[in-house]
Amino acid sequence: MDIELSAEDLGFRDEVVSFFAENAHKDGEDYNQWRMDWFAKAKDKGGWDVPKWPTQFGGPGWSPTQHYIWEQETAIHATPWDMPFGLGMLAPIVMNYGNEAQQKRFLPDIRARKVNWCQGYSEPGAGSDLASLRTKAVLSEDGTYYTVTGTKIWTTMAHIADWIFCLTRTDDSGRKQEGITFLLFPMNQDGIEVTPIITLGGAHSVNTVHITDVKVPVENRIGEEGKGWTYAKGLLQHERTGLAGVSRSLVALESLKDQARTIARGNSTLMDEPAFKAKVADLEVDLMALEFTELRSLASASAGAAPGPESSIMKLKGTEIQQRIQKLTVEAGGLYSAAWGATSVGPSFARAGMGGYLASRGYTIYGGASEVQKDVIAKNVLGLKKSTSVQTSKENGRNSS
Amino acid sequence: MNFDYTDEQKLLKDSVQRFVADHYALENRIKLASNAPGFSADHWKTFAELGWLTLTFDEAEGGFGGDQVDTMIVMEEFGKGLVVEPFLASIVLGGGAVRRGASKALREAVLPGVMDGSIQLALGYAEEQARFDLDDVVTSAREDGDNYVLNGTKSMVLNAETADFIVVSARTSGGQVDTDGITLFLLDSTSDGVERTNFPTVDGLRASEVKLTNVRVPKEGVLGEVDKGYDILNAVAIDGILAIAAEAIGAMEILYKDTVEYTQQREQFDHPLSEFQVLQHRMVEMFMEYEQCKSLLYRATMETAQGSPGAERTVHALKHLIGKAGAFIGENAVQLHGGMGMTEELRIGHYFKRLLVIDLQFGNSDHHLQKFAA
Repeated sequence: MDIELSAEDLGFRDEVVSFFAENAHKDGEDYNQWRMDWFAKAKDKGGWDVPKWPTQFGGPGWSPTQHYIWEQETAIHATPWDMPFGLGMLAPIVMNYGNEAQQKRFLPDIRARKVNWCQGYSEPGAGSDLASLRTKAVLSEDGTYYTVTGTKIWTTMAHIADWIFCLTRTDDSGRKQEGITFLLFPMNQDGIEVTPIITLGGAHSVNTVHITDVKVPVENRIGEEGKGWTYAKGLLQHERTGLAGVSRSLVALESLKDQARTIARGNSTLMDEPAFKAKVADLEVDLMALEFTELRSLASASAGAAPGPESSIMKLKGTEIQQRIQKLTVEAGGLYSAAWGATSVGPSFARAGMGGYLASRGYTIYGGASEVQKDVIAKNVLGLKKSTSVQTSKENGRNSS
Repeated sequence: MNFDYTDEQKLLKDSVQRFVADHYALENRIKLASNAPGFSADHWKTFAELGWLTLTFDEAEGGFGGDQVDTMIVMEEFGKGLVVEPFLASIVLGGGAVRRGASKALREAVLPGVMDGSIQLALGYAEEQARFDLDDVVTSAREDGDNYVLNGTKSMVLNAETADFIVVSARTSGGQVDTDGITLFLLDSTSDGVERTNFPTVDGLRASEVKLTNVRVPKEGVLGEVDKGYDILNAVAIDGILAIAAEAIGAMEILYKDTVEYTQQREQFDHPLSEFQVLQHRMVEMFMEYEQCKSLLYRATMETAQGSPGAERTVHALKHLIGKAGAFIGENAVQLHGGMGMTEELRIGHYFKRLLVIDLQFGNSDHHLQKFAA
């Protein structure tokens, strides 16, 4: 065991830091142009535009330590805005289960950030219990296209997405995990209506997507008909570890401390008040541990082992920590955390603090509610049988896209 | 020992309950909260007609002569409807300071209007540097002939936007955090040098930063004695805490009951959510926290109304528990409603936000735990 970074790793860190410094957004520079140039330059570095993609698809082939360094530095430095759905969620499915034509057709545009994707999984009646989804896809008599009708909900960024990858039901005669088919189709066409959902923090990022008689050519089906659940399921685990946000939390915790230090209390600051300080310390301890839980998980993944029990913990602990940071930010803002709307009063962080706290309540719901995550750990990690009071689904559930 | 309401109190409760049932569907509340002045003038008139605005004032002065228990009854029902009319700001806070501290002449000039709804009040007790400390006051008041001249900024003043008069605490002597040397003033909100920056709060109410620049208040506008305003302010703050704690109880009841109902309707994994033991236990905890808060509310309210020794300590205990349990109940109501709980469409999010703000008003959970332990 060794936790020191090797000379090579330190060199990599320097290279990453100077890349971010050299390509930082300059005042007055057109944002979109900068964003496109940034990704192009990252591509020239040898796949830095797609860090998690395998080498055969152009990824950089980094070691777990290099991924860790990258994640740490991206949390600190301003990098261009990105959408995770195409890059991190659809692309691995296309790589693993798509045919060569589909890989050629979809992956380059995802990589170039030309096409924005959204994820059509959850439905009004299928949240944690995703496999009960009912959006119907009927194959035409000549076998050339599906007609899709149904409603998807909690679809993040559907209002700016060009395409959607969608779980649909092609057969409801068997187990509910069977008969699910994975389809891709453009958002900008007749029969698709996107309605915004305004969430508690006042933000619009999720939507309801109504799909009525949308025709999808069979070429847009990933893998076999009826096997969509298998394709999507492997990825859910991936989505969950991605939601832990350890690096972001490390940065957020530091800003929380900085913010608390701006709140004067007599001759000292809020950060010196024992009760507040103890809560921050308690949080920091959990985050320190989680940072290494993530590293252990990365290390076992790179050794080719199946994801260990560590990976199951990531989403649960990570989201809980994010919520606690947000809650302490509200506390630090004091009475001013109640101020809302456009007028800025009190400490500068207070307004964003309340919005962030409210939004953070969704973290333990979206991407598989905490209660469902715990069921998964109980069953798959601890090997426990179903609770006697109720038989839950045999499969992993999830909620939201 | 008796926890029953009197017949008169039962009537009061019924009438507030009826009002809330008739007027406070969520969409009405949202409409009121999102348009100036942030409440309904008609509702306010109704409050006056039903005599609710006289509740806390002496019978000799035309009031109902009620105590903190009566206010609790009204506020708990208001909490169930998330009522936006400024009963707390005008009657409990502003009115509480005026009835305790104003001279007879001033009371006669102001209170009839307060009770008939034509005059509204507000209380400016907070300052940015003070955080939650009532006695940390840097707004200054300097004597000048027949007037005091006030300078400073009062923070997050509820209902200042529509208040005709604002009660403010200002320092007439002593150091920044001395309880002695604080004086309360009743100032006309249209006086020269009063500048209000109005904004909504996250719970759908409205507050203002009130900046005072050489505001002249005649000496008759002093409430209580010069330098001795803290005791009145503290007594008003206690009434305020009891009132918002009662409001919180009303909100908590809606949150836990809505959650119980929702989990019985929502099916996942071929079962209503309510059949999952882990969720049942969570709802039991929400319910227990609600009951515990209600017990401390009764205890603190009765001890205060009866002037029991130690009442203030119980109020600290209450405000601590309300903040802690409010967050627990609100967060879990959202969690158990899943994605729907995160939307503005369901009412639970709105009750949750009110509970969050209640924790911040008059000192948060930590602040009162420290006061309690001190």
